[in-house]
Amino acid sequence: MRILGIETSCDETALAVVDDGRAVLANLISSQAHLHERFGGVVPEVASRAHLENLNPLLDLALRESGTTLKDIDAIAVTVGPGLVGALLVGITAAKALAFALGLPLIGVHHLEGHIYANVLAHGAIEPPFVAFLVSGGHTMLVHAPEPFRYRILGQTLDDAAGEAFDKVARFLGLGFPGGPELDRLAMMGDPDAIRFPRAVTQRGYDFSLSGLKTAVVRHVTAERGRGREPALEDVAASFQEAVVEVQVDKTLAAARDTGVATIVLGGGVVANTRLRALMSTRAEQAGIRLFTPPPELCTDNGAMIACAGFYRLSRGDRTALDVGASPGLPLG
Amino acid sequence: MLVLGIETSTPQTSVALGSETGVVAASLLATGPASHELVVSEVARALDRAGMPRSALTAVSVGLGPGLFTGMRVGVAAAKAMAQGLGVPIVGFASLDLIAFSVRYCRRLICVAVDGKRKELFFAFYRPVPGGVTRTTEFEAAGPGRLVAELIARLEDILLVGNGTLVYRRELEEAGKHVEIASAAFGFPSATTLVELAIPRLQREDFDRLYDLRPNYVRKSDAEIAWDSRRRAD
Ligand SMILES: [Zn+2]
Repeated sequence: MRILGIETSCDETALAVVDDGRAVLANLISSQAHLHERFGGVVPEVASRAHLENLNPLLDLALRESGTTLKDIDAIAVTVGPGLVGALLVGITAAKALAFALGLPLIGVHHLEGHIYANVLAHGAIEPPFVAFLVSGGHTMLVHAPEPFRYRILGQTLDDAAGEAFDKVARFLGLGFPGGPELDRLAMMGDPDAIRFPRAVTQRGYDFSLSGLKTAVVRHVTAERGRGREPALEDVAASFQEAVVEVQVDKTLAAARDTGVATIVLGGGVVANTRLRALMSTRAEQAGIRLFTPPPELCTDNGAMIACAGFYRLSRGDRTALDVGASPGLPLG
Repeated sequence: MLVLGIETSTPQTSVALGSETGVVAASLLATGPASHELVVSEVARALDRAGMPRSALTAVSVGLGPGLFTGMRVGVAAAKAMAQGLGVPIVGFASLDLIAFSVRYCRRLICVAVDGKRKELFFAFYRPVPGGVTRTTEFEAAGPGRLVAELIARLEDILLVGNGTLVYRRELEEAGKHVEIASAAFGFPSATTLVELAIPRLQREDFDRLYDLRPNYVRKSDAEIAWDSRRRAD
């Protein structure tokens, strides 16, 4: 079964053609980063306009690259939430119109379920129970999946999503946008133990908070400069990253232990962070837990993960009606 | 020929199906701010009611605004994906042109003004000509005060039409006795007008390019406006 996946929840217009939830025949992403760079963040109206302009040419490209025509497509999967309402609407409307025009089933997919299924694309079907750690520019969330398609949120961020905090700290340090990858690169050259930033592990439960850490970074750099010293930015980046990642890994492993699962899956753009991947993999191995991590190109928002999740939802009989709207705050579960 | 029309640039969403011999099905929704989200299911319903399969559609026409940004985008996204999925041509029309066309039998200057939110209207002036109307100005986004000044400056009888007159009636009446405000029945662009206007263009194969067709935003996004003014200030 060949599924067209459409994802427009934030600032990437993404389309993919995936066979049987596994074979990625085309996975195209039109990044709008260059459009949002000067604003220092994603501007919803700018994103929505760009999605509308990108979508139709991207569809033709995806079909060409996958050696597919519209007649070969068996279903349309699309992200229905959460995300920016105006951005979601462009993808949802196009998906509905295509499904109608081609007489195909439509399947709405939760964006975060898509991130979980990026692992299925890379590694094949993953049997629950598992714990998923989903972390991106918009989310930081620990999820327990006791059985297929059932999710229980264990914890999430109380303030900034991790990717957002990376972007803000990167901007403060004068790095480019998007800040995450820039900060990761700089941190590789620094000493993660140079500065002991506060770990928020003392917080109860599985929730995350990064505002204190962000303030500590600003305070450290400002204080250094006040003493007439220019702080080594690579050390600041490495120490900040270490503080973020350590808490994330601690809480994810604690969640696996407490729910009694033997499998952890990661998803979301921040999973491309090299330090998070490395530390999570070491610690999971020590704990005897199977860890699934998508390859970096499937960590960021893409259409293939939506097509994959759509395939599994369709296979169990789910269908979405043509009057479905966007759900900017769609809960997982 | 069976042409689909989709118009979602105001709070009224409408779809229509028609041919050279007239409209065969039409529907109009104004169920709050999200009526445009129902546009695709409404197309399905209209075809059902007309007893036609979707494969009978030979072209898609769409209203491009100016109007409400999200609504315009939903209509244009639906129309473009429909045209691409069906493999049929697409034609777009300015939504203000549709309103002007619907009052073309008046012998006066026509001003169409639709509500653009943020205390602004989108407006343009038209003159009736044999067979239709011709637009004599660019589309403009401005507050009611600016539109009143435009109306006063024109020393002839004017028919003022569009849903902007429902929102700013009191301010716009200040323009003077030479301005008559048209009935609310003409206040919204309609998909039936769209289909009527699309047919001659389709007959002469004056299609729009699918990739290039986009809404008439007229106004930049708020972030871009703020950015521009910051840069000017520097
Ligand atoms: Zn995401």
